[in-house]
Amino acid sequence: MKKDNIFQAVMRVLKKNSQLRMGVILLIVLLCVALFAPIIAPCDPYKLYDALVAGPGTPGHILGTDGLGRDVLSEIIYGTRTSLMIGVVAASISGILGTCIGGIAGFFGGKIDRFISEFMNFFLMTPSFFLILIIVALFGSNIMYIMIVIGLTSWTGNARLMRAQAISLKERTFVKSAQAMGESRFSIMFRHIIPNGIFPIIAQTTMNVSSAILSEAGLSFLGLGDPNVVSWGQIIYHGKQYMPKGWWISTFAGVAVVFTVLTFFLIGDGLNRVLSPKMDANN
Amino acid sequence: MKRYIGKRALSGLLVVLLSVCFNFTLIRLAPGDPIRIMAGTDNPNEEMIEALQQKYGLDKSIPEQFVMFLGNVAKGDLGYSYISDESVIKLIGEKIGPTLALSLTAVLLSVTFGTLIGIYAARKNGSRFDRFVCSISYVFDATPGFWLGLMMILIFASSLKWFPTSGMVNLRANYKGFAYFADVCRHLVLPISTMVLTQTPYYFRIARSSVLQVMSEDFITTFKATGMKESRIFNKYVLRNAILPTVTVLGMSLAFLLSGSVLIETVFAWPGMGRLMFSSISKRDYPVLTGIYLVTSVVICIAMILVDILYGFIDPRIRYD
Amino acid sequence: MALLELKNVNVRYIMKDKKVHACQHVSLEIEEQDSIGIVGESGSGKSTLASAVLRLLPQRITQVDGEILYNGKDLLKLTKDEMDALRWTDLSIVFQKSMSALSPVHKVGAQMEDVYRVHFPNAQKEEIKQRVYDLFKVVNLSDRVYELYPHELSGGMMQRVSIALSLLHNPRLLVLDEATTALDVVTQSQILREIMSLEQNLNVTRIMITHDVSVVASTCKKIAVMYAGRLMESGETKDVLVNPQHPYTQGLLKSFPSFKGAKNDLRGIPGSLPDLSQEIPGCVFAPRCPFATEKCRTVEPELKTVNGKGNWKVACHKVGGE
Repeated sequence: MKKDNIFQAVMRVLKKNSQLRMGVILLIVLLCVALFAPIIAPCDPYKLYDALVAGPGTPGHILGTDGLGRDVLSEIIYGTRTSLMIGVVAASISGILGTCIGGIAGFFGGKIDRFISEFMNFFLMTPSFFLILIIVALFGSNIMYIMIVIGLTSWTGNARLMRAQAISLKERTFVKSAQAMGESRFSIMFRHIIPNGIFPIIAQTTMNVSSAILSEAGLSFLGLGDPNVVSWGQIIYHGKQYMPKGWWISTFAGVAVVFTVLTFFLIGDGLNRVLSPKMDANN
Repeated sequence: MKRYIGKRALSGLLVVLLSVCFNFTLIRLAPGDPIRIMAGTDNPNEEMIEALQQKYGLDKSIPEQFVMFLGNVAKGDLGYSYISDESVIKLIGEKIGPTLALSLTAVLLSVTFGTLIGIYAARKNGSRFDRFVCSISYVFDATPGFWLGLMMILIFASSLKWFPTSGMVNLRANYKGFAYFADVCRHLVLPISTMVLTQTPYYFRIARSSVLQVMSEDFITTFKATGMKESRIFNKYVLRNAILPTVTVLGMSLAFLLSGSVLIETVFAWPGMGRLMFSSISKRDYPVLTGIYLVTSVVICIAMILVDILYGFIDPRIRYD
Repeated sequence: MALLELKNVNVRYIMKDKKVHACQHVSLEIEEQDSIGIVGESGSGKSTLASAVLRLLPQRITQVDGEILYNGKDLLKLTKDEMDALRWTDLSIVFQKSMSALSPVHKVGAQMEDVYRVHFPNAQKEEIKQRVYDLFKVVNLSDRVYELYPHELSGGMMQRVSIALSLLHNPRLLVLDEATTALDVVTQSQILREIMSLEQNLNVTRIMITHDVSVVASTCKKIAVMYAGRLMESGETKDVLVNPQHPYTQGLLKSFPSFKGAKNDLRGIPGSLPDLSQEIPGCVFAPRCPFATEKCRTVEPELKTVNGKGNWKVACHKVGGE
């Protein structure tokens, strides 16, 4: 019964919010592609076929092959897995870090808050892509590093949001009453502040998935991707050498990036609209 | 006010110092030895390596190196490139011009287009124009600039041959004077268009949503109730209030301008800061890398202070105390 | 002739999937020099009614019909320019949220100047300044406020600024939409006293919208009680408050402490506002009314005159006759 209600509530929200609806449909498509990659992909993405730089429409290779004879369509399909994983893991790292740090700053206030705020200002003033580049280039382009570094350099936005949430929540009656009943500060933070203030961070995290995917694509495009996995950025990087004759290699991989990033933008923006009905009324 | 600027400058200096220190340490902790890259051959002569290490102070500990570096910076010396042996200041100086020509132009064009379209779309909120521009902005927002750049080259340079594929000038032509300027402009068209297309949506969204937000404020109803013309309400009161977020964001973009756009500069082989940075990373050219980092941090810091001060002038609610 | 006469005014908010009837069949007469308080709980449609009179509702999502006669002219039929000509010189309003009633990035004086020039485009700066200073004196503000920004003023001061602003062109009809609700009691009574003394000197007719019956009791000659978008009862304040006829009015008065200090038990009205997007047959108050009969649930009551007094009207089947 209760489950049914949640389902109905989700459907109602989706019916009203066209951005969110589009985003969710696209996301389902993406997840299916990632999940069933071995079934959908016509070829093994790592196998080198004899036809090098064969154009789209070549028998057996709908989107053609790349400079080493790999099937571009299969590479793109498997690349979905990499991009989604990087996006979700990096955004989660930044979401969790941001929530905890911002929550502590806002809820505890005082010196802790001042210290954390200064720290966030410090981060705000460092060019983050520069930093990511240095770390990945100098310490090695392992996919784990890439995810962690992207996550570690993007948490400040979340922290800022959570801090504001915590500051306003801690004045609310239910938090005051929990305090009066002697609940410990950490318990209040994890049981009341974070669960009640997390929604804007969820929306922000969805947006961060997009930017993480873009960051990874950018890194790969500079030749700093993990050579052991297929990723869209690497396909574009590889295809660049065969431009303009082998245009299809880079083109289709780029379309896949746009499609995926768009999906998460739509969901994030849709969530924001659901969360702040005032903006919705304007539209 | 003066006290505020002083305070901000001091804390800015601290941030720059910390940031550079962090970066300095990070770079030197990284695996990969620049000396071995410099020495070149697979089996370099040990004496040569020692000589090189001594020359560049790499035989000392990292804190010692950092203190040395700071001392030199205070004297206005950012050191010399390991690779080309040229002074870092000169290397950076050569690249600032091209980067500004590209990025500054792109940012200014984007903020102008984005804000104007955003304001217009907000005024026509819900119209077909509004919906159309909103969907377009979504797509370009999701497009990676480097890929868009490749596509631009593919279409407008390789196929249509309207513009050159890459670089800043046609080196073979050896242009002088106005012809040189015109040639640079021709080379600028594609990279700037790429950047404008991917950055405009950002300013568009901010302008549109802040105009909509201001239009729903209570004071707009007050002015409507007084019988004031809507055009006057919009031009005088809505715009003045709605421009504040755009100023903040523009300030941030300008601050980060110098670090350049590595990706766009790479795609178009533009000889700017971004590419200098990237090449010095791959070649482990520590002095250049640290130098760029220092210059960028200082610029960011100064720009942010300037934005804060400017903000105080346009928003009376901000107080400096 | 009444200064303002509402005849069967309906206001509907048009949502994506439903229509909300915020005001229905509201008929009301307001004489020149009157002061009338419109009371009701939040969501009763009183503010919507005021905005409808001033044509301030967002056009795209609202629908207003009926007649709103001001000096015999139907405001709903005026063109935009004709309406703009009446605004502020004839009809002005003070909103509840006075803190956000002016632009935060422009000085108070400059904004008032701008409003003054809406109707007198060629006015000299000095002349306007003098007028504003005079008004500031009336509402007890110092001249210094002219050069300040809204955020530099307190809530009470901004409220005074709003009132001064509303009086800029000596309006004939002044609407105070919960204008003193957010203030502390001392400031509130001070401002109310100022408004009442202004009225005598300036010849203004006042509509006061509030959920606080005591404010109406002490400042208004007449009262109109609204519930769920309908007018329940209207008449002279002294009649209605002393001897309320409508069960809703009775309930509303019981939920306030007595003015004379007698210790009656305070009682709210059980139940809550009906869903205004549904068509309601019969009396809107019937579901919460302790005296409701079958007729109340099926037939909508008309406004009837009470005790032969022309301006005391009640919409209830239980009153008069039955």
